[in-house]
Amino acid sequence: MTNPILELRDVSAEYGPFRALFGVSLTIEPGASLALLGANGAGKTTVARVASGLVSASSGSVFVDGVDMTTKRTYEFAQAGLAHAPEGRSVFATFTVEENLVLSFRRALGRRGVPAAVEEAYALFPRLGERRRQIAGTLSGGEQRMLSLARVLVEKPRLLIADELSLGLAPIVVDEVYETLSSIRGTGTALLIVEQHVHHALELCDEVALLDHGTISWRGPSAEATEAVVNHLFDSGDR
Amino acid sequence: MNAILESHGITKDFSGIRALNGVDINVGEGERVGLIGPNGAGKTTFFNCLLGILTPDAGTVQFRGNDISNLRVHKRARAGIGRTFQRIELFSDTSVREHLLIAERVHNGSGAFWKDLLGMGRPTAVEIERCDDVLELLGLRELGDEPIEALSLGQGRLVEVGRALMTEPRLLLLDEPSSGLDREETAALAATLREVQAEKGFAILLVEHDVELVSKFTERLYVLDFGSLIAQGPTAETLSDPAVRRAYLGTLEVDSEVGSD
Amino acid sequence: MILASFGEDLIRAILQGTPPGTVYALIGLGFVLTYKTSGVFNLAFGAQAYISAAMFFKARQDWEWGIVPALILSVFVLAPAIGLILERLIFRNLRTASAVSKLVIAIGLSVALPALFEIVADYKPVAGRSPTGIVPNGSSVFYDPLGVYPFSRDELAQIAVAVLGMLLLGAIFRFTAAGLAMRAVVESPRMTELAGIPADRISALAWAISSMFAGMAGVLIAPRLPTLISTDFFTLVIVAMAAAALGRLVSLPRALIGGLGLGWFIAIFRTFLPRWSDDYTWLEPFEDNLAPSLPFVVLFGVLVFWPAIRRSIDATDPLSGVDPPPPALASSTRHPLLTMQTRAFGVAFFLLVGWLAFFRADGRWVFLLTQAVILSIIYLSITVITGFAGQISLCQGAFAAIGGFTVFQMADRYDMSVLLAALIGAFIAALVGALLSLPVLRLGGVWLAIATLAFAFFFDAVMVQASWVGGGGTALLSGTEVPRPVLGPIDFGASDRTFLALAIVVFIIVAIGVIQLREGTIGRTLRALRGSEVAAESIGISPARARIIAFAVSAFIAGLGGALLSMQQKNVNYSTNFSPVAALFWLVLVVSLSARTVEGAGQAGFAFALFGPLILEGSLLEWLPFLNEDNLPSFFPISAKWRFVLFGLTAIQFARHPEGMLEFGKRRATHKRNERYYARDAARAAAAELAQ
Repeated sequence: MTNPILELRDVSAEYGPFRALFGVSLTIEPGASLALLGANGAGKTTVARVASGLVSASSGSVFVDGVDMTTKRTYEFAQAGLAHAPEGRSVFATFTVEENLVLSFRRALGRRGVPAAVEEAYALFPRLGERRRQIAGTLSGGEQRMLSLARVLVEKPRLLIADELSLGLAPIVVDEVYETLSSIRGTGTALLIVEQHVHHALELCDEVALLDHGTISWRGPSAEATEAVVNHLFDSGDR
Repeated sequence: MNAILESHGITKDFSGIRALNGVDINVGEGERVGLIGPNGAGKTTFFNCLLGILTPDAGTVQFRGNDISNLRVHKRARAGIGRTFQRIELFSDTSVREHLLIAERVHNGSGAFWKDLLGMGRPTAVEIERCDDVLELLGLRELGDEPIEALSLGQGRLVEVGRALMTEPRLLLLDEPSSGLDREETAALAATLREVQAEKGFAILLVEHDVELVSKFTERLYVLDFGSLIAQGPTAETLSDPAVRRAYLGTLEVDSEVGSD
Repeated sequence: MILASFGEDLIRAILQGTPPGTVYALIGLGFVLTYKTSGVFNLAFGAQAYISAAMFFKARQDWEWGIVPALILSVFVLAPAIGLILERLIFRNLRTASAVSKLVIAIGLSVALPALFEIVADYKPVAGRSPTGIVPNGSSVFYDPLGVYPFSRDELAQIAVAVLGMLLLGAIFRFTAAGLAMRAVVESPRMTELAGIPADRISALAWAISSMFAGMAGVLIAPRLPTLISTDFFTLVIVAMAAAALGRLVSLPRALIGGLGLGWFIAIFRTFLPRWSDDYTWLEPFEDNLAPSLPFVVLFGVLVFWPAIRRSIDATDPLSGVDPPPPALASSTRHPLLTMQTRAFGVAFFLLVGWLAFFRADGRWVFLLTQAVILSIIYLSITVITGFAGQISLCQGAFAAIGGFTVFQMADRYDMSVLLAALIGAFIAALVGALLSLPVLRLGGVWLAIATLAFAFFFDAVMVQASWVGGGGTALLSGTEVPRPVLGPIDFGASDRTFLALAIVVFIIVAIGVIQLREGTIGRTLRALRGSEVAAESIGISPARARIIAFAVSAFIAGLGGALLSMQQKNVNYSTNFSPVAALFWLVLVVSLSARTVEGAGQAGFAFALFGPLILEGSLLEWLPFLNEDNLPSFFPISAKWRFVLFGLTAIQFARHPEGMLEFGKRRATHKRNERYYARDAARAAAAELAQ
């Protein structure tokens, strides 16, 4: 039996004086795909951050491939094959577009793999290809989002964690990103998708977990995530 | 309809790349106008040119019949342009009511150095009442004394609106107000905005990616692509324009029941 | 003929300017290197350079080591070791801190490191023992290729290392993965880690490399100085900052060219400067002092007029949201009951100290207490500019000196009442502050701090020498005496205690004024600006106007305090009280205690004035019943150098609690009790509800 690529066991986490997660347990098998849905403030982003090692759990444990990673540093999560595209404009603002890509690809794919990967990224987002020498901080918000996504989409990690994937992207670009996601899903990459756009996420992922006030309130196959389940979640979500 | 804001031929280059190419728009008194476009189309650049954060290479901005092209940011704000921010911008260590009080004091201009020294710089009862009225309108009355850090993003965005309202704007620029909000919160924000607008009668210019919000909230729409307007007109018509679909919408289904309510 | 001599003069000036230009270039390069790889505006660069130079000097001269082993020890072992320690203990915790707090730490280190080294290595700068360079007979063998200006071997070695260093470092940044990773860590350690790169290891590497370069620069520069003193290195770093600024802190080639250009410009300027003072004698003090101050004028000019600096944006970490927001001021979350208790304690404490001061203390302690109170007034100026407006000003010493000098001049020339003169001095300081703020305000952040520092050094080099400011040559002979005030029947000169009372009254008035400003329109406007400048502008706040007011008010308070300090000491004592370096202390002390509260300023004032006598000289122990002056432990009085070390430790402590140690302490000390009071309130409310 293979170990799940990611397992959170009874994880709690805090944000300053506020408790953000209360005993969340979650497993993702290799190649599986999970959509994490929930109202704002439910703790979705914190789950994504715990999963990639950005935030450490105040209690509970995090396993990657069956290895306890609870106290490990963020880079060790990345080296274990977890790639996280954080929400917002997560690019190196003073780097050029190309430097942003090279920095990440060089570690993940080795020196030889870099040129091909960079070209692949430009093929995925032609707008970036037109601006390869531009300083990333001067890109528009959506373009920065593309750059941040290009990094993780091209690397084909073992687990891809994407937070608020479609935020700030034009609908037509969101379509493209989801197409790419469903194609890399076929290559064995597991997905953890945090989304507001419920429909896209449900279409893409096999499984859904609903997060409500820092705990998982429902988990099941996407097909069973009826309108009612999802709506209930959002109705109870306002604080 | 009388235009409250008019831009003529706004053009802006960034190191050789043309970000905006002669953009003309106008917003009528009390009108709700949307501005959409693909990523990198120049929406934010245009917004910044209207607000005076960037200086366009060519073109003018007229507000209530006056040329404001050469005014600095805070002067344009005083002329009656309020705004909110895509990535929320609030004052740290400051309560909700205090946000509004600061804006109110700047707007009524009663602050003076000597008054501060004599201890007369603290908020007056009248000012507090005016702020509480606006908080009431936005449904934030109970949160008045809360520190800003304790608020959710949606509430924070309402505080931004409230802060702008204290300056009695004639035009409110909303920069992706739905970003970071979930569907329910977005709907609530839209409802509140519409209520407030009905009462105060200012115009709104909305930059947004949430097509649902745009289609339900705005009356008229401008679509930018590669720095130029590719379409404009009543919201429903514009959204069904094939050029807009090609450049922006893709396969997205747009609710057909749109426009004015 | 004239043209030929002009050409020759020009070439000579350029060649003459090359060696100092190389020094600026070396420091500029090192500075850019540190900033690029660690994100720190490293004012302690000079201190690091000094330590390696002093180690090299000691190894060569005292231990009589050979050049190579001495070089290995000082540059390739000691320097990176210090870099690694600094990274591990301090800067690693500060990676996501604001540029301003990093600057404060660097200032603290620039003072603490040399003192610590001098204690540990038992090194004393002795005048007349000139440092030697890294090449044999470096200062006595010359090469003169053009027959105009002979270069010494040392100078050639400097030039070679500067050019080679630039090329080597450039190659690292351009062609290696480590170069890219180092820049990445500066911008966002978290995102770098998300890309699978260990940020800690990379930043340790960065510090080792940049510290090694600092050490190399120090050893190379040392032979240019007659005596090896740490302050000279600090001043050199300030000057060379113009070179780094020309490279906008990121371009190595531009820093090199900027450094050389600075040397050339100064040499050419000196060669061709016409002697206007032959016709206008009042210009004389300016012309005489322009040469030493020229670097600061150039630095100021570069900062204000070089457009790239204004455009440079501080890249913020996109993942900074992972950190929880900083806690609110302790006093804002305090239960009313606790507030009352704290206040009662404060009042009792001050009554006790007051009683001791007025009825029990001897003259020395009255003097020291008065000094503490007056310093607290000056520190309130930092509360306004840094605590409220969030701007770092490093020229508060100059503002205070303006107050002191005005009193001196007015009393000396016009026999004016000194209290009136003090007010005039404060107003002049406010005017200077407002005028200074006009050009520098657009800079913001770290550059603003450096521009004010340039102004402080300019004031130090030029204005203090002018007869109508610091008294110039005559003041050197006769001093800058200041009388104590006389108000009706009260002569504040007759008794130090009455003057203490005056100081306390002024402090209370200023403190109340500062609090009123904080709660009034100005304070709230500044708070808005500090919270979000774009948002403040969007509601019609003019950032420039608000900050000019803050600068003027701050300068006014500093000027008033400076005037009082001069009266107290009956002399301006410019170099001990108000020199640019002394003012750096003030800032670090106030910011690391608590820049945002009036108590912070007060405690900083008492700490500054009383730390030495109480702790270092052992007076605190003397008061113990079983000890007295004669049987103090033998290590008293402790060397004053420890003061600098402790000062550095304060800065390090600050690195862990950027809200200020005092704030942190307050919160920790009262947290439990605060919680208990609130819990009791909640319980009572619940009970009342039940009863209904």
